[in-house]
Amino acid sequence: MRCRTPLLLSLLAACGADALEPAARPTIYVALDQQFSEPLLNRFAQELQIDLVQRHDSEAAKTVGLVSALLEERGNPRCTVFWNNELAHTVRLAQAGLLEPYDSPVARDVPAAWRDPLQRWTGFAARARILVVNTELLPDPKTWPTSYADLVDPKWKGRCGVAKPKTGTTLTHFTALRQLLGDEAFTRFLDGLFTNEVKLLAGNGASLREVRDGKLAWAFTDTDDYHVAKSKGFPVACVFPDQHDGGVGTMLIPNSVALIKGGPNQAAGKQLIDKILARETEALLAAAEGAQIPLREGVKGPDDPAILPAGTFRAMQWDVEWTAANLSRCLIEWEQRFGS
Amino acid sequence: MKALARSLTPASWPLLAAFAFLVAFVLLPLGSVLVGTFQGPDGFTLEAWTALAADRAALRQMWASLQVGLAATAVSLLLGGLHAWVTTGRDLPGGGWLGPLGVAPLVVPPIFVAMGLADVVDAAGFWPCALLLGIAHAPFVAVLTARGLRSVDGRAYEAAWLLRGRARAELWLVRAIAPELLAGCLLAFLFALADYGVPEFLTVKGKTWLTYAEGLLARWNRRTVGTTFAELQSPITAALPFLVALGCLLWLALRLRGNAPDRGVARPLPVRPLGAWRWPLLAVPLVYLGFGIGLPVFVLGRWVLGSAQRLEPMSLEFAQQSWAKAMDQGLTPLLNSVALAIGTAVFVVLLALPLARGAARRWPLLELLCALPAAIPAILLGIALVQSFHDSALLRAFGGDFYAGWGFAVCGYAARLLPFAALTLSAQVRRQPLAAEEAGLLVQRSATARALRLHLPPLLPAAWTAGVLVFVLALRELDLAVVLPAANATAVRRLSNSVHFQHEDWCGVIALLVLGIAVLLPLLPSLLAGRRLQSLS
Repeated sequence: MRCRTPLLLSLLAACGADALEPAARPTIYVALDQQFSEPLLNRFAQELQIDLVQRHDSEAAKTVGLVSALLEERGNPRCTVFWNNELAHTVRLAQAGLLEPYDSPVARDVPAAWRDPLQRWTGFAARARILVVNTELLPDPKTWPTSYADLVDPKWKGRCGVAKPKTGTTLTHFTALRQLLGDEAFTRFLDGLFTNEVKLLAGNGASLREVRDGKLAWAFTDTDDYHVAKSKGFPVACVFPDQHDGGVGTMLIPNSVALIKGGPNQAAGKQLIDKILARETEALLAAAEGAQIPLREGVKGPDDPAILPAGTFRAMQWDVEWTAANLSRCLIEWEQRFGS
Repeated sequence: MKALARSLTPASWPLLAAFAFLVAFVLLPLGSVLVGTFQGPDGFTLEAWTALAADRAALRQMWASLQVGLAATAVSLLLGGLHAWVTTGRDLPGGGWLGPLGVAPLVVPPIFVAMGLADVVDAAGFWPCALLLGIAHAPFVAVLTARGLRSVDGRAYEAAWLLRGRARAELWLVRAIAPELLAGCLLAFLFALADYGVPEFLTVKGKTWLTYAEGLLARWNRRTVGTTFAELQSPITAALPFLVALGCLLWLALRLRGNAPDRGVARPLPVRPLGAWRWPLLAVPLVYLGFGIGLPVFVLGRWVLGSAQRLEPMSLEFAQQSWAKAMDQGLTPLLNSVALAIGTAVFVVLLALPLARGAARRWPLLELLCALPAAIPAILLGIALVQSFHDSALLRAFGGDFYAGWGFAVCGYAARLLPFAALTLSAQVRRQPLAAEEAGLLVQRSATARALRLHLPPLLPAAWTAGVLVFVLALRELDLAVVLPAANATAVRRLSNSVHFQHEDWCGVIALLVLGIAVLLPLLPSLLAGRRLQSLS
């Protein structure tokens, strides 16, 4: 048997021959929609003359499939660069010690709130958590909801929706909201969701669908979901919530990019991060169907005037470190509340 | 040792290699994650298991799964069982075509059926979920019921008819095929329990139930933000009791199936006239196939024509644009899927042939071992494979990165889909008369020659069936596509994303192409050789 084992292992290894010399190939894990990210990355790879391996996330895993893979592979990292389409899970990875500090020279004009003081991650090109409104059901803008608190306003009983805060940007949003409101007020808000018969859906996509198809008057979702529906001709509008004096503001959730500690070809990874964080990339993401909002001043934003440029609206001041550290505690609690 | 060495003839190498695969890709990874649940940061601990024992949600989820599974199985029995009953050995108009089509819903991922239903009606809650899961898994009941009906000796049925009348004879027939019927129901139950996509998709406000498979996914998601050892291990500890429960069911299904007498049909059942019910009963296959495949295809077709946008009315011009986008965005993943599915099907059949012979002729326990992956939640198998292979310095020493390549994807898919081929082939081996093999032993030919000339030829039709089944299931596999690096570039993973991101237009084209390819392969023998469709046999 001893002489056959190497033979078997050789055969198994030969099956992976398309991936020879993996250490030399920088690998990027990408959670942003493949349709937008893949062409950009192909271009960057060509410009940098690197043989880039791309691995994209599945929405079935609600943006955490790749995070899970990164955790599983921590003993032998396969990924060089992680491009996340949100921030909290990247910060979790930083807290778990999986990220390598890198101070990208092209990102120094990114607002400090979106850069890790320890340089383990950098934010760029954000989505905003907005209210999407069906304009056929609510033709008069004066009647539109204006705040997260409208979810629990009896006026909207049974006519509005939000994704269950168990995954994705809604989990991040609700966790941050909990810190801002305090436990007591937040618990009242959660109770209100049930009292007000708010439709609790599987995700932001499902929430958007309910509104665009006229089953709900409005719902919480992200700007990219809204913009795609708008560009497909559906009767939808967006509201940046909580803009009134004393309001908590609209939450911005940027993409984030980070270098993975011990990942293959760190030098190429750093070059790739520079490309991703370039101002031009933010402009391209703003012009794409996902209509991401540039974080830096002077970068052209989305053409849709309803999607406000950063700095022109009241943004929610959320503590990314606290939010990331408390995702687990909140998730366990909300699984009990919303799941069973 | 000498006896063992003597028994290791060249003829036993394929079985040894296949068994080594089973050990390397199923048993060792599972064993390693199990051991991992006891290895905390400070050494041996029961923390992960005590946390599970204190988790009341797990029990609630199991109860919810049981309810959904039972309801779904009832639907499968009603639709699949009735479908086989009215199309096998009956005079139903078009029964010759409708019968074999009973397996067709298997090519449609359950989530497509759910999306199709949700697109045309406001479907949500327990019963739509049970209905959809029941339809999606009814082919198991249909196939095994039809198999039972085909294996009943027509002379015995006629005798029962003459002695006791027609109604009693039909009852006798139900009793005769009961083992196959039950085995089909158990398989449908097992698959309904393991599905998380449909329950999640049909989630409703204030839902008071959450299935166990959904709970596993939730724990897997929670793992990414987990901070304690117990949290990190929770998807594994929660899945292992699930695995044991499903394994027991599987064992029961195999026992029932194995005990079903292969009656050596001297004469098939006579055509049993439906009389006045001949035309009304046509509704059974039409409703079943309508929900199982007609509705999803209809909805996907509407997406391609532009139903998921409001800028212009549905039109063929829009369909052309959808096609162009699909070729741009989805052609490479589609080709990857086809290549992966073909590779998996070939590999699985090569593995299953020796395993099936070994299980049917010498070691019955081997059959349960081969069937075990069917009971493993895909998420658990994925975690186990990644943990076992991502850092294999031994494999890297041989000059390639096995983990990142297509080889690992093929092996992972093969581990998951091996049961289907192994069970199909072991049933076929059992049907072969032992006398012929014993006669072969008397002839002075090598073991290899006997295997190639005597054992293999009667298994080829079943090997083709098994290969097609694995091909179809590999095409629609989503769970492992998410976890295994190379399989990430497959069509079904792209589709699962595209629907979320409102790319229904080109996503509809790719989904229809996937379904078309999945249907084409089983039809090839009929198209090329003019053979009559017999996929329910």
